[in-house]
Amino acid sequence: MGFKSLSVAAALIVSCITTTSALADYPEKKIDMIVGFAAGGGTDVMARNIAPYLEKYLGNGVSVVVKNMPGASGQIGITAVAEADPDGYTIGTYNLPGAMARTLDRNADYDADSFTYLANIVNDPNVIVTPKSSDIDTMDKLVEAAKARSGAVTVAMSSLGGDDHFFLQKLSSATDADYITVPFSGSAPARSALMGGHVTMGIINVSEVVNFRDELNVLGIASKERSSMAEDIPTFQEQGYDLVNGALRGFVAPAGLPEDVESKLLAAFQQTYDDPDFQTAMRKSGNPTELALGDDFEALNAEQLELAKQIWETQPWK
Amino acid sequence: MYGNLIDALPAVLSLGNILAVVVGVIAGICVGALPGLSATMAISVLIPFTFGMDPLVALGMMAGIYNGAMYGGSIPAVLLRIPGTPAAVATSFDGYPMAQQGRGGYALQVAVVSSALGGIASALVLMLLAPPLAKVTLLFGPTEIFWVAVFGMSAIVFLLGGDIIKGLISAAFGVFVSLIGVDTITGYERYTFGHLELLDGINIVVLLVGLYALPPAIGLLEEVRDFDTKNTGRLNTTSIWKAIPGMLKYWKTWLRSSVIGVFVGILPGAGGSMAAFLSYNEARRASKNPDDWGKGEPEGVAASETSNNADTAAALIPALTLGIPGTAVAAVMLGGLLIHGLQPGPMLFRDNPEIVFGFMWQFLFAAILLIFLGGALATNSFAQVLRLPRPLLGAIIIALVFIGVYSINNRMFDVYLMLGFGLIGYFMDKLKFPLPPVVLGLILGGFAEQNLRLALRIGGGDWSILASSPTAKVLIAMVLLVIVSPLVSRRLRARKASKVAG
Repeated sequence: MGFKSLSVAAALIVSCITTTSALADYPEKKIDMIVGFAAGGGTDVMARNIAPYLEKYLGNGVSVVVKNMPGASGQIGITAVAEADPDGYTIGTYNLPGAMARTLDRNADYDADSFTYLANIVNDPNVIVTPKSSDIDTMDKLVEAAKARSGAVTVAMSSLGGDDHFFLQKLSSATDADYITVPFSGSAPARSALMGGHVTMGIINVSEVVNFRDELNVLGIASKERSSMAEDIPTFQEQGYDLVNGALRGFVAPAGLPEDVESKLLAAFQQTYDDPDFQTAMRKSGNPTELALGDDFEALNAEQLELAKQIWETQPWK
Repeated sequence: MYGNLIDALPAVLSLGNILAVVVGVIAGICVGALPGLSATMAISVLIPFTFGMDPLVALGMMAGIYNGAMYGGSIPAVLLRIPGTPAAVATSFDGYPMAQQGRGGYALQVAVVSSALGGIASALVLMLLAPPLAKVTLLFGPTEIFWVAVFGMSAIVFLLGGDIIKGLISAAFGVFVSLIGVDTITGYERYTFGHLELLDGINIVVLLVGLYALPPAIGLLEEVRDFDTKNTGRLNTTSIWKAIPGMLKYWKTWLRSSVIGVFVGILPGAGGSMAAFLSYNEARRASKNPDDWGKGEPEGVAASETSNNADTAAALIPALTLGIPGTAVAAVMLGGLLIHGLQPGPMLFRDNPEIVFGFMWQFLFAAILLIFLGGALATNSFAQVLRLPRPLLGAIIIALVFIGVYSINNRMFDVYLMLGFGLIGYFMDKLKFPLPPVVLGLILGGFAEQNLRLALRIGGGDWSILASSPTAKVLIAMVLLVIVSPLVSRRLRARKASKVAG
């Protein structure tokens, strides 16, 4: 036995010992939770709400530290997660369809295979709203207006290639009519133009409308069932339009996570989701929850990517 | 509603809540005074810590920071010609010449009184007029906002300085910087060279620090000799209460600038720096001695400082009532509210009146506290900093701006970018290119471009949309007035002069 093979054997043994001990004791140091947006945004609030519950259910007195890495609509943070060591000590927030749309419309250093999918927590369905001053207060009137004259219906959007944009593309094919996108930089000016009646309609999320029912007409909600946050808003499917879409927010880790680490994390997310205190906190901060764990989340992601590809091929948004 | 205001008062007056506002104001003044640190950043950093706090404690600190920072930015702007925040750029126009003339202490006193008055006006408007003013916000769509930006650009004429060509080059550079990043309307990347960090455009703080803070800091290092005693020795020592009666003659400027600040505050997307530029220009136009401006006119400091504080509480009017934050800081504050389960909208006023109205009171207290804390304590202690040997002071400023710029997005890229702007700023300084047009070009250029294109998109490419609404027509008339009136008055003056001569 030469020196070389001996050292290899030694290295193997050492690595076995270290990995097994790491697996047995995970988590044994702090976990970084990377948020691709600035502190105080919707995604950040979700992350900060969930962190203490993950600490509780992962045990070992672990601390989960939120790290904000804002920029490029979340792409900088998500890239950092994809490139981190898959040891369970780096997880990050994940927004759909944005995260997958970026792999199509930009050069991204990650793709759908770069992640271990942990849990999707928030599903915030799209709604179509019009200003209260508008005559267009039903879907039929909206479609009629859009068909009457091309360019008649202008739509306020908060960005390009987001959930609102995808929804509009679906709406356009479902109703066979043209809509003019008016992409503002951010939701504040978009919302202002919408409420002020400077555009015909807006696509926002149900969480943004529940407190403003007197200020806006809500034409429908893009979920399969009515939302518990606003039971009176009819779904589009009820009205004969097959439109289901929304903003999804969840958590991923880098691909290649050791199996026990993954299962510990999944269990902690499941326990967190089942915790009534967590649900209350999410409801109070206006986050409609819907859990998709592990494989379900991965399937959901694949579905979103497929949809994004279809839209990108037929109606590229840039 | 006004009954709710009174009901909310006792909770605000509890020791803990008062203390929160005091701490916030002090922290805000420090943050504002340090170039590279801004109110937006300070509040984002604070938010995670507010999780465990009582909502009013958290909100009180935020209100304090916002008000404190808007004033704090004027301290280095006056003493060193380094604006501590973007909103303090206009303060440096007259504040720094005053300091050079040995009137730095008075300049800071004018700044603190004006800031406090602007803040008080803003808080009162938030308390008493929030619902009707929220309706005013909604009058402003892309078309109207485009005209506001054009109106703001009329200020550029004065800011160009002595050499018009150099001034225009500076302004063009500012507009160019505003182009960098993803074009929000088509999604194409402009001048990003594949860098993700550039997709969102250039953060104004990075540019400001590079252009404004680095060159003077390098200048301080170049001074081998001891510090000069001009600014330090004679920094005003009379009590602020004795100085106030002499300032009462600025009441028109205070009033006008408060109105401008509140108005800019309720517009989505604009901010304190735009308010300060607009009101500085308007005050100068109304002044009897416009030629003294830029050479140490205290009214210039009053105009800029009143309006950048009048912008604070007003920015929360559309934020709290409609969920539309008027400034970046207001947007972060909404996040702070969300953490406590407080969602904006009419329900907020119905379900949590003690918190919403308490928050308004805290804005008022923060503004009043400015006179006490900003006047006596902070002004004097910050002035002591100037007694440091100049090279040491320069080194400290450079270290602080590195930390500040890094922490905006937690990345080194911005620091390198700032160094690049520092180099540009250094040569602009040596070649006598004016800096204010760069800032104005960056803020208003991007604003005007985006809103013009959005308006045309809404109008289906028809330019007549730009004059379609009554609000737009009023704004166009104002723009024309601003551009035409100096020409007319010059013609009249020339005629009068020729009559006298003839």
